[in-house]
Amino acid sequence: MGIGEITVRQTILIGAALAALACAQDAQQDTEKVTMPFSNPSGPHKLVVDALQGSVTVKGYAGQEVVIEYTPGPGRGRGRRTGRNPAEPPPAGMHRIGGNRDLDVTESSNTVTVKTGVFAPVSNVVIQTPADTSVTVKTLAGRSIDIDNVSGEIDANNFSGAVNITNASGAVVAHSMNGKVTASLNRVPPDKMMSFSTFNGDVDVTLPADAKATLKMRDDNGDIFSDFDVKLEAQSPAQATQEKDKNGRTTRRVRVDGAQTGSINGGGPEIQFTTYNGRIMIHKK
Amino acid sequence: MTCDEAKQHFAEYWSQSLSDADEIELEEHLGGCDACRTEAERLGALWRQLAPPSEEPGPGLRGRFYEMLRGAALRPARSSRPPVWQIAAGIALLVGGGLLGYGLRPKDSELAQLREEVSSMRQLVALSLLQQQSASERLRGVSWAYRVEPSDSEVLQALLNSVNGDPSVNVRLAAVDALHAFGSNVVARKGVLGSLEKQDAPLVQVAILDLLVDLNDRDAEPVLRRLMQNVSTDSGVRQRAQWALEKLQ
Repeated sequence: MGIGEITVRQTILIGAALAALACAQDAQQDTEKVTMPFSNPSGPHKLVVDALQGSVTVKGYAGQEVVIEYTPGPGRGRGRRTGRNPAEPPPAGMHRIGGNRDLDVTESSNTVTVKTGVFAPVSNVVIQTPADTSVTVKTLAGRSIDIDNVSGEIDANNFSGAVNITNASGAVVAHSMNGKVTASLNRVPPDKMMSFSTFNGDVDVTLPADAKATLKMRDDNGDIFSDFDVKLEAQSPAQATQEKDKNGRTTRRVRVDGAQTGSINGGGPEIQFTTYNGRIMIHKK
Repeated sequence: MTCDEAKQHFAEYWSQSLSDADEIELEEHLGGCDACRTEAERLGALWRQLAPPSEEPGPGLRGRFYEMLRGAALRPARSSRPPVWQIAAGIALLVGGGLLGYGLRPKDSELAQLREEVSSMRQLVALSLLQQQSASERLRGVSWAYRVEPSDSEVLQALLNSVNGDPSVNVRLAAVDALHAFGSNVVARKGVLGSLEKQDAPLVQVAILDLLVDLNDRDAEPVLRRLMQNVSTDSGVRQRAQWALEKLQ
């Protein structure tokens, strides 16, 4: 039983190795590179990344194109799951030019979309994009999402790992299900709403010292900290509700678990901070 | 561009935040569609009225004002004791005016119409923003939903769509919060309860559980029990569901 298992595994490994060798140029490096231009780089442009797993890093740079580098999954994916068609070496004298791809990169109406394949899990996708791109990243079982130096809008959703945003100067909307959400903003756009949330983890946001904003904070099982001079709004008495208890007696309940609102530097656009199990930290830059 | 799409772009068109391509497309549509053009003109006029007035008083105003003031000062003063018939006439006028005003009241629907137009404008802005590609703009759409009438079924439906299908968890979360205002509506209760088991984000599930407790929705019990028995439910959500069940009993 054990021997048979090893043999099958070895066969697959050898097959994968042969396939990798067959794509001669690719096999030289650990990472592969794809470049995709925008059809109209001077117009508003967008990058959408939809990854199943692995980490995703997006960096704003001074170039015009989207440059994607990634580490291919172990073995070309076809048959990895089904067990029927393990990666085969190419026919004699031929090399692989396409087919089942690790990564699907498309461009349509000035939006570059990067999707990772279902059967060929890639890891460590690193993307360079013009700094003023609007960036949307979603990972399902990803390790972490890191976004740096983007001045367009950012929308990041990570269903497992952390979200880490640095040097942002557009509106940011970020969520992690089981990780920490960290964001450092160089600028708070005057008329945009932002939101940071996680279920299990800290929300840690750094804002410029002169940022004008209205903060709406909700922390079910943790504390909220800030070194800003936050003018807290009193919990309004309207939040007190009357309800009947089990024995039919009327009791008054004041919601203390609801959201807390405060303003910094006189108030401004609303920024929402939400965590269920964690702390909320709002730092002054 | 369809009529519905055109209407969603109105607010951005007036606030000049529409992209060039969309603006050209919208103008082309308005050129060819009488119904949309009429609506755009009607609501556009209202939009401009809502903007702060920018007119400066003319240069002759000051001179004319002082002239009038001098005229009033030079007019001979009347006798300081008004005759009785004048007082009687005054009272008659007052009562008559009141009755007249009361009689005319049902015809004067201008205020009601204006109110209706403002609320349809808010509806338009909320619906238009909730459709945007940008998550930040959709959050703004949710904040506009607080300004419509709680009876607005179109905005309510758009909020429920956001709770069920918005790709951003944060927008879903904000939409659940906004539904507190629609709590008396059966559609809102049913919609949000139906969404509870479909959510993949525990944070949204917790927010929905809080909303159900706030609305005192006693129909929620079987759904809450099912949610607690489901092995894939997050343990934090399960605890909250337990708490909600106790509150609702």
